Amino acid sequence: MYRRILVGFDGSDGARKALDTGLALAQALNTQLFVIMVEEDLPRYAITIGEYEEVKHQRDAYFAQLEQEVLQAAQQRGMPVQTHIVAGHEVWAMVEFIHHHQVDLLVIGHQGHSTLHERVFGSTASALVNHAPCHVLVVK
Amino acid sequence: MNVWWVAFVWIGLALIASLLSMRLAISVALMEIIVGTIAGNLLHLQPNEWINFLAGLGGVLLTFLAGAEIDPDSLRQHWKASLAIGFVSFVAPFLAAMAYAFSIAGWSADASRIAGVALSTTSVAVVYAVMIETGLNRTALGKLILAACFVTDLGTVVALGLLFAHFNAWLLLFVGASILLLPLAPLLTRWFFARVSVHTSEPQIKFILVLVLLLSALAVQANSEAVLPAYLLGLALAAPMARNWDFMHRLRTVTFTLLTPFYFLKAGSYIALPALGSAIGLVAILLLVKIVAKVVGCYPLCRLWHMPHREATYTTLLMSTGLTFGTISSLFGLTHGYINQQQYTVLVTVVIGSALLPTLIAQSFFKPSTEVEPLATEATESVP
Repeated sequence: MYRRILVGFDGSDGARKALDTGLALAQALNTQLFVIMVEEDLPRYAITIGEYEEVKHQRDAYFAQLEQEVLQAAQQRGMPVQTHIVAGHEVWAMVEFIHHHQVDLLVIGHQGHSTLHERVFGSTASALVNHAPCHVLVVK
Repeated sequence: MNVWWVAFVWIGLALIASLLSMRLAISVALMEIIVGTIAGNLLHLQPNEWINFLAGLGGVLLTFLAGAEIDPDSLRQHWKASLAIGFVSFVAPFLAAMAYAFSIAGWSADASRIAGVALSTTSVAVVYAVMIETGLNRTALGKLILAACFVTDLGTVVALGLLFAHFNAWLLLFVGASILLLPLAPLLTRWFFARVSVHTSEPQIKFILVLVLLLSALAVQANSEAVLPAYLLGLALAAPMARNWDFMHRLRTVTFTLLTPFYFLKAGSYIALPALGSAIGLVAILLLVKIVAKVVGCYPLCRLWHMPHREATYTTLLMSTGLTFGTISSLFGLTHGYINQQQYTVLVTVVIGSALLPTLIAQSFFKPSTEVEPLATEATESVP
């Protein structure tokens, strides 16, 4: 039924549950598994490149740790996984990835890290349910 | 109010701006301008002599950092296209905004020049962030756009430095010292950094400060602007600085912690919200003038360099952004008496608008269809 599964991972408790579910589904269905991690809190409208780069440097280090966590979890199940770290808006980066890699199923946690903006204008999960061009599984 | 109360208020506001910046993922400088605006209008926040000094030094070091971020390889690789697009991207809005301010808005000649300079800029940092997030920074198009942005900013800084300078012996001395020192600066810096190691007292930062302050002093003596030599020195030192991430990190930490907060809070405190209400039409028109001038100037050149319509429009819109040097130029105009507070309010609002609006339009309607393939370091495959 599903040939390519994508898990959105940001290190939150909800995302960890989504990762477990994504790994289990991919193993059961013998499908290709992608994990995407979006560096979403980089400063918009930076005053110098350095201001942006300093934060990106910190986020790169943080997401490199998360990537190791994903790889270890996949290794424990004996599952191949392809990890991607991208910068940008969490929702649009995932939607673009889904289009580009023809993903069939997106697995996300119920609540991940979110900025105040997202709390005011709606959660990442609900935005992804609305905009993702594939089935979406929200894990609680 | 004693000095510690003043410091408490300003650093307290800077802390609030930092926290908001982190929470909202928006540039700390922009948040400092907003917090400064609120404090200026509600608390009547007013800079004093020592705040003016710290703010001025912050502006100069910020400009040095901006100059040092230039990628010399990209400039060399795309020098023809970047020079042409970057130069036109500076000249077209400079002339259009100056002409509109002088002929239609009825501003004085000096105020119109400041308007031209402030609206001629392109925000390299805003463009850079967009490039990273679209993956365009890895493409030839992305490198060309960034190189062109640097050329535009160079035009702005040179215009700001020379338009109001007094053509006298001091200017000759400043030009002479710059011609002598700028080519030698990379050699001197490498020599000094090789002999003096990293230390708590930061002799390396002090060395850079000595170079910047010497040229800045000469520039100001000639009634020019200190940001001109700071930017040129940054440009001259871009190659050695690019290889010294640790030094740049330390310099950024010093600058962004203790200097630029004063600069941007001060810049915000001069924005008069009541004046904005009555001039909102002028803000919209000047923003339109800037964007239209950039489009008319840059779009044909982009097409000339074989960019398809979508990429050419995207490039043109990104060239229409502005923040850093627009704010610096406006504050220069206000503090030197070339523009009044209402004109300053209009210009800074247009500058902030130009950081937001063109980016939104470009990202929403003209984003090039780049294949966002992961870099080798960004994709890992685990096959047990």
